Amino acid sequence: MGTVTITINGQKVSAHAGQTVLEAARGAGIDIPTLCHHPALAPAGACRVCLVEVSGQRTLQPACTFPATERMEVQTESAKVVAARRFVLELIFSERNHFCMTCPMSGDCQLQELGYRYGLDHWVYPTYEHRFAVDASPAHHLLDHNRCVLCRRCVRACAELVGNHTLDLRQRGAQTMLCADMDVPLAESTCVGCGTCVEVCPTGALIEKRSAFMARPAELERIATTCSQCSLGCGLNVAMHRGQVLRLESLWEAPVNRGLLCRRGRFEALEDHRPRILAPMLNDGGERLPVSWEKALAEAAARLQATDPLRLGLMASTRMTNEALMLAKKIFLDTLNAGQRGMVDGVCATFPTAERGRLADLCASDAILLAGTDPSADQPVAAFLIKRAVDRGARLITAGKRPGELAAFAEMHVVPRQLEVAVDALLAAARPMVVYGSGLKKADRRTLQRLAGRARFLALQPGVNTRTASAVDVNGTLEPTGCDTLFVIAGEENGTMEALAAGIDRRSFVIAQACYDSPLAARADLLLPMATWLERSGTLTNTEGSLCRAHAALPPSGQSRPDWDILGRLAETLGLEDDPGLKRPERRTRRTP
Amino acid sequence: MAKVLIATDWLAACAGCHMSLLDLDERIVALLHHVAFTASPVTDLKHPPPAGVTVGILTGAVSNTHNVEVARRMRARCRYLVAVGDCATFGGIVAARNLAGTQAALRRAYLETESTVDGLIPDSPELGRPLETVTGVGDVVKVDIFLPGCPPRADDFHYLFSELLAGRIPTCLPREHLRYD
Repeated sequence: MGTVTITINGQKVSAHAGQTVLEAARGAGIDIPTLCHHPALAPAGACRVCLVEVSGQRTLQPACTFPATERMEVQTESAKVVAARRFVLELIFSERNHFCMTCPMSGDCQLQELGYRYGLDHWVYPTYEHRFAVDASPAHHLLDHNRCVLCRRCVRACAELVGNHTLDLRQRGAQTMLCADMDVPLAESTCVGCGTCVEVCPTGALIEKRSAFMARPAELERIATTCSQCSLGCGLNVAMHRGQVLRLESLWEAPVNRGLLCRRGRFEALEDHRPRILAPMLNDGGERLPVSWEKALAEAAARLQATDPLRLGLMASTRMTNEALMLAKKIFLDTLNAGQRGMVDGVCATFPTAERGRLADLCASDAILLAGTDPSADQPVAAFLIKRAVDRGARLITAGKRPGELAAFAEMHVVPRQLEVAVDALLAAARPMVVYGSGLKKADRRTLQRLAGRARFLALQPGVNTRTASAVDVNGTLEPTGCDTLFVIAGEENGTMEALAAGIDRRSFVIAQACYDSPLAARADLLLPMATWLERSGTLTNTEGSLCRAHAALPPSGQSRPDWDILGRLAETLGLEDDPGLKRPERRTRRTP
Repeated sequence: MAKVLIATDWLAACAGCHMSLLDLDERIVALLHHVAFTASPVTDLKHPPPAGVTVGILTGAVSNTHNVEVARRMRARCRYLVAVGDCATFGGIVAARNLAGTQAALRRAYLETESTVDGLIPDSPELGRPLETVTGVGDVVKVDIFLPGCPPRADDFHYLFSELLAGRIPTCLPREHLRYD
């Protein structure tokens, strides 16, 4: 790639050929103000705030879209430029309601910041008098047209990042309005509620309902951690206000998801209102008696040691940290030789001879087969990446008994017995990829085996740490009735606990390490309170094998402890010497600016 | 040196800007060595002296004909007119009335309120008539200095007075004294 040399404000700056004036300036540390520009989105030139003077050009040009060419001379803050920017801002402020004192985004608004920067202390044009609609129909966010500046960041984010194309503009000129699909309320549209539009909105037009008006941005601190809702392990920021979680935000630097989050990860993860277990408790004939950690661990250790290894069971959660899984392996597999073991969630077996794919490969793939999985429901961020691949021209084939949501984006949907057709189609592609889940049947696995060596295989597992859990071999065929003592590590899973609790033998002694109360916790003879995903640090290995770091945003509630801490203390109580390889993570906190 | 004379008045305002002015606290004592507040809504003398003042301060939006008169009187009696607060500069929260329309707002407030029985929209000739559109002061009279904020902080007032006493007209506010909320 060639380089060009341009002059910005008298300073020589070199840039790659094809870079815009804005990119060249920012690369040289020269600030050009922007509003519609967002680093994750393609430039649109919609707002005209970044106007600059360019030699040889009759009029001012938007720096965000204008390509830098050899010997170009640019002025970014000349009197003419500043006057034009003020004019542009006065026009933007004159349309719609930009009164800051009643806006939740005041203090975190890029339009406000520009008003300050260019000293807008009163309005030149008449006060606005039109009232626009507010669409508060979505569950977690709302769209206030009165604050919209039509910068199209949300439109671009919905199309380019999420691949969903729900948002667009209708009408022209002063009549232009943001709309969803064919102008329907957001809740009735194809919106998937991921909130990426909220994240990129520069004003208060798209806001999260839960956190609106709750805190000033200057009072926030952000802690980077890893989402534990599915096996993708998306990085995100926990925005904290005075020790409370205010909201979850995109972490644009996150290598796995690059700022993308789904509805579950961004919004629903904070809506878990199940009652917590806050102290170690012994079940004494139906009555729960709080006990000290020492007593609880001593009781657990005594029970575990007294049980016949063949009748000792471990049920592990796929949401445990790597550290906890290593400790569970050391205690139950290496030391106690537990004969019964299993995982709370199922696991999809790997294709040992096939090349393992990564999420990023989805973007480069030209043919994707989706089999035995519905990522739009279970791993939505993967669905976003698949839709983006389809936008770029990749062929998508879905396979399964019933077509999932992504079938609408697919070239064809095949039922399991037609899987050969899909395999043939993939064999004709240059960079085929198979994305599969635990719904894949044995016969289908054999059919797909033909693609081994040609396609990359990406498993979409259920739990955030299923990969490590299967690697340390805690998976097995646990028979709840065959256990005298059963140690269950109940993560934050929903729904799976009831069936498990019902299957446990009446006589067996159940030790449950759990975050929330559940039928299983009710059945447990000994309860060990566990910290939630927001309360524990550690590492997780996502489904593609990336190591993801979790940093506790909150201290553990009550007497609860992180999963690795409980198992570490249990190991000590059992008299296992401290293995230097099993160092417990300290409570590390990573703050992002 | 003679003290600089200042007069303040409010239009459609909540009094918050004047409270913020009083938030200067002990700095008012030092300020009073140099300036004299001749009239203000929070002192005994309410109207700016006919002989005139150097600095006139108006807070609040222009919402009715009385506000227009007050604004014009202040403009006629001061050398430098300062519009203080979001209402005086932009129309502020009072301008939210423009969304509904003046007549609808009057009906809602005086006739349709849930607790109202036999309501009546005030129409005494002694009262100012509500305008169709609420505006900032700058739409009615020439304003020399705008100091937005809801309200401007005491530090912003301090900056304003310090600049004026130093013989400078702060027509372009520095970033730390310009705010919209």
